[in-house]
Amino acid sequence: MKPARNRIPAGIRSRLGRSRRLRRLAGVFAILGPGLIAANAGNDAGGIATYASAGAQYAYKTLFVMLLVTIALVVVQEMSARLGATTGNGLVSLIREQFSLRVATFSVLCLLVANLGLVVSEFAGVGAAMELLGVSRYISVPLAAVGVWAVVVLGSYRYAERVFMLLSLVFLAYPISALLGHPKWSSVGSQTFLPHLSGNKEFLFLTVALIGTTITPYMQLYQAAAVVERGSTADDLRAIRIDSITGSIFANVISMSIIIATAAAIGGRGPLASAAAAAHALEPVAGKSAETIFAIGLLGASLLAAAVVPLATSYALAEAVGAERSVSRTFRDAKLFLGLFTVQIVVGAAIALAPGNLIKLLLNTQFLNGLISPILLTFILILANRTRLMGANANKPAFRVVATVCTVGVGALAAFVAVQTVLGWFGVH
Amino acid sequence: MARNVGTSIPSVRRLRRRLIDQRAIRDQLVSVAGLIGRPVTLAGGIEAGRVGSVQAGRVGSVQAGRVGNIEVGRVVDVVTRMAGLRVPEVTGLVVRVGRRRAFVPVSHVSELTGRSVTLSSAQLDIRDFERRDGEVLLMGDVIDHQLVDINGVQIVRASDLYLAPIGQRIRLVGVETGLRSLLRRLGPRRFQSRATPERVIDWTDIQMIGEVGAVRLDRANRELRRLRPADLADLLEQLGQQQRMGLVDSLDPDLAADALEEMETDQRDRLLREIAPERAAAIIAEMEPDEATEALRELDDDARAEIISTLPEASRAAVVQLLGYDEETAGGIMTTVLVTARRGSTVEEVINGLRDLTAHREDIDAVLVVDEDGQLLDDISLFELAVADSSADVSTLVGPPWPIAVSPDAPLTEVVDAVLSNRRSSIVVVDDDGRPIGRILLDDVLDALTLAPAHFRPNVGDR
Repeated sequence: MKPARNRIPAGIRSRLGRSRRLRRLAGVFAILGPGLIAANAGNDAGGIATYASAGAQYAYKTLFVMLLVTIALVVVQEMSARLGATTGNGLVSLIREQFSLRVATFSVLCLLVANLGLVVSEFAGVGAAMELLGVSRYISVPLAAVGVWAVVVLGSYRYAERVFMLLSLVFLAYPISALLGHPKWSSVGSQTFLPHLSGNKEFLFLTVALIGTTITPYMQLYQAAAVVERGSTADDLRAIRIDSITGSIFANVISMSIIIATAAAIGGRGPLASAAAAAHALEPVAGKSAETIFAIGLLGASLLAAAVVPLATSYALAEAVGAERSVSRTFRDAKLFLGLFTVQIVVGAAIALAPGNLIKLLLNTQFLNGLISPILLTFILILANRTRLMGANANKPAFRVVATVCTVGVGALAAFVAVQTVLGWFGVH
Repeated sequence: MARNVGTSIPSVRRLRRRLIDQRAIRDQLVSVAGLIGRPVTLAGGIEAGRVGSVQAGRVGSVQAGRVGNIEVGRVVDVVTRMAGLRVPEVTGLVVRVGRRRAFVPVSHVSELTGRSVTLSSAQLDIRDFERRDGEVLLMGDVIDHQLVDINGVQIVRASDLYLAPIGQRIRLVGVETGLRSLLRRLGPRRFQSRATPERVIDWTDIQMIGEVGAVRLDRANRELRRLRPADLADLLEQLGQQQRMGLVDSLDPDLAADALEEMETDQRDRLLREIAPERAAAIIAEMEPDEATEALRELDDDARAEIISTLPEASRAAVVQLLGYDEETAGGIMTTVLVTARRGSTVEEVINGLRDLTAHREDIDAVLVVDEDGQLLDDISLFELAVADSSADVSTLVGPPWPIAVSPDAPLTEVVDAVLSNRRSSIVVVDDDGRPIGRILLDDVLDALTLAPAHFRPNVGDR
C-alpha cells in the first residue's frame, strides 16, 4: 500500500472514465482561459470610459493607435505567459530573484499606486452605472464596497465572479452595435491602417490613457500568476501562447468596436460628458433600453474588476515577501494581505465618492496606469531576454527587436506626455 | 552556566535570561544581506604601502582604538562550498577592490562581524573573481531564491542567511524567511546588519534547487530521503520547470521513481517529457512495472519508443509485455512482480527469498507454487507461509482454498467479479498454458474501479 495522501493519486485520476483523446482536449481547455480573462480585464470601467471618450472626441482617429497597442499587448502578454510557464514564478518573485529586493519593492509600490487608481475607477464605474439606473452613487458605492469586500473575504468568490462576468458579457453588444450603427467604413479602414499621429496635447494624453487601460500593469501580473497557479509549464507553451494571443486580440476587437460604435453615434462632438452620453453607442442594438443595458454591463465589469484588482495587489505583495503559495491557499488567514485588500477597497471607494466629473476621474486613473506600465514592461522585457533564466524559451532576436520597440515606444510616449503635463502645471507649454 | 539561581521573582529572572540568551544568539549571527557593502579593512597599517599601491582606498581612517586601519574594498558576496558538507563553510569573500571583484580566501580573514571584515594578510589576488565548480554565492544564488524546506515540506524564499563565525571557520547555519528581515534590508544602512532571527530554518533542513542546486550532491539524496515520496511529489508539483528539472536531476533514480509514482498523472507525464530520455528511462526502470507501464502509456509514441529503447533489458521485457495488453483488461492492470516457488523448496527457503524483495513489498501478498513446467499449482498467502513449519516442503501447503486465476485478456468486469465473489486480496493472471504471468492486487482493482469504465461508477472527483 502506498502512503495515504489527501488527494486522488495519479493512477486514479489518469483514467477518469474518459477516452484519452477527450482528456487531451480537456487539457487544452484547462489552459485556455487566463489569457482571455487577463486581456479582457482591460475592458473595465476605466477602459470603457477611455474608449468611449476616444470615440466621442476624435471619432475614428485613435484606431491606428489601438492597432499599435494591440500588437504591443500581444507581445507583452505572450512574454508574461512564457515567463510564468518557464520559470514557474510570478513576475514580482522573478524581479526579486533576478534583480533585487529593492527593485521588487519598487515594482510593488508602482503596482500599488496603479491598482489603487484602478480601484477608484471601478467604484466610479459602479457609481456611474447606478446613477444611470437612478440610484445615487452615495448609496451605491458604499454598498458595492461592503458587498465586494464581504464576497471576497467571507463569501463564495467563485460564484460572485461568474455573476459579474455574466453581467459584463453585455458588452458583447458593442461589436453588433458597431456593425448596425452605420459607421463610415472608409474612415474606419483608413484611420486604422494608415499610420498617423497627432501632436495635439489632449490627443497624446488620451493615447497614453488608451495604452494605460489596454496594457494595464496588473494584467501582466495576472497572466503570469494564472499560468503558474494552473501548473501550466513550458510544455504547454503552444496552448498558452495561443491563449494569450487570441485573448489579447479578442479584447482589443471589443475595445475598437467600442470606439467605432461611440464614434458612429456621437463622434466628433467634443469630449465625452457623461456615462449617459456613452450609452448612446448601444442604441443601434438596444434602442430605448440602451442606457439600462449599458449600466448593467458597466456595473458587472466594474464589480468584477473591483474584486480582482485589489486581490492582484495583495498577491503581488505576497510574491514580494515570498508567501504567494500560502496566500493563494488561505487568503483569509493572512492578515497582512487581508489588510491591504481592505485598505484598497475603502480608499478606492472613498476617492470615487469625491465630488466631480466621474468620466474625467476615470480618464486620469488610466493615464496614471499609462505612466507606470512602461516600468513593468521594461522588467518583463529584460527577464524574457535572459537566456540564463529562460533557456531555449528566451526571446528570439526578431521578437526581441519587436518587444524592445514596443517597450521603448510606450515608454517614450508616456515620458513625453508626463513631462508635458508637469510642465503644464508650471505654466510652460 | 549556573542554572539554579535562587531568586524571589523567578519569572522576571527567567524572562531576563531568555532575553539575554536571545541577544547572545543574535550577536553571534552575522547577516549575509547586512554584510554586503561593508568595508573590508586591513589591520593596523601592516604593509600599507603595498595595498595603497594596489588601489586608491581611503588610507588611515581613524576609529576609536583602531588607528590606521586601511579600507581595502567592500564586500560583494560570500562564497561557500557545499558539496559533501552537512553545514557548509565559507571559503572566501568576493570583495570589490577599485573596479575589480577580487576573491579573498577565508584564511586571510582575521575577523568577521556583521559590520566589517578585517583581513590579516595584504596579499590580494586582484584578478576578477570567477566562480569555480561547486561554489555557491550566498547573495547571488541563495538569498531571494527558492529553497526546499525539507522539514516543513514546502518551498520557501530566503530573505536572509545567517553565518556563525566559530574560530577560524565561518559556517552557514540558517535561512531566514521572515518578514522583518526583508524590512530591515530595505531600511537604513545601520540597521541592516542587525540579525533579526524570526523564522529561521536550520541549513541542514534545506535543499537548494535551480542551476546551482543541480550540481549533484550526495547530501541532497540523504536529506531528501527523509521525505515521504508523496511529499516529494508535492514539492515537485509546486516548482517551476527549471527548478523541477534541477531537483529531479539531483535525485537518485529510485527516489525519483517513488516520487513520480505519487505525482498527478499530467504533471508526471510532463516531467517525463521534459527530462532527458536516458534519465527518464533510469527512473522508469526503478518504478514498479505496472506503474511504469501506466506512465509510458500516457506519453506520445516517439517519447515512449525512445525511453523503452534505453530501458535496461530486464525491465524492458516486462514493460513491453504489459504495454501489449489493453488498458481495460486483466493484463492492463496487473503487476508482473511475482514470487514463485517450485515444488521441492522448503518454506524456509521461500521466506529467505522474500527477504531480498522488500523493495516490492507492496506488490507481494502471496507466493505462487508451480510445477516443473511452470504451471500454477497454488497461491499460498504470506499468512499460511508464516505459520507453516519452516522445514516443510511448500507442496504440502498446496490445497484449498484454490487460487483464483484469470486470463490476461479477461475484461475488467470479469476481474472485478472474480475478486468480489471470492473476497481475495489478490488474484493471479495466467497465460493459455496455465503459467502465472502476473497478479492483480485489490488496490489495482480499486484503482480500475474508481476510474475507468464510466458505467461502473457515478461521477467522482471531477474538477
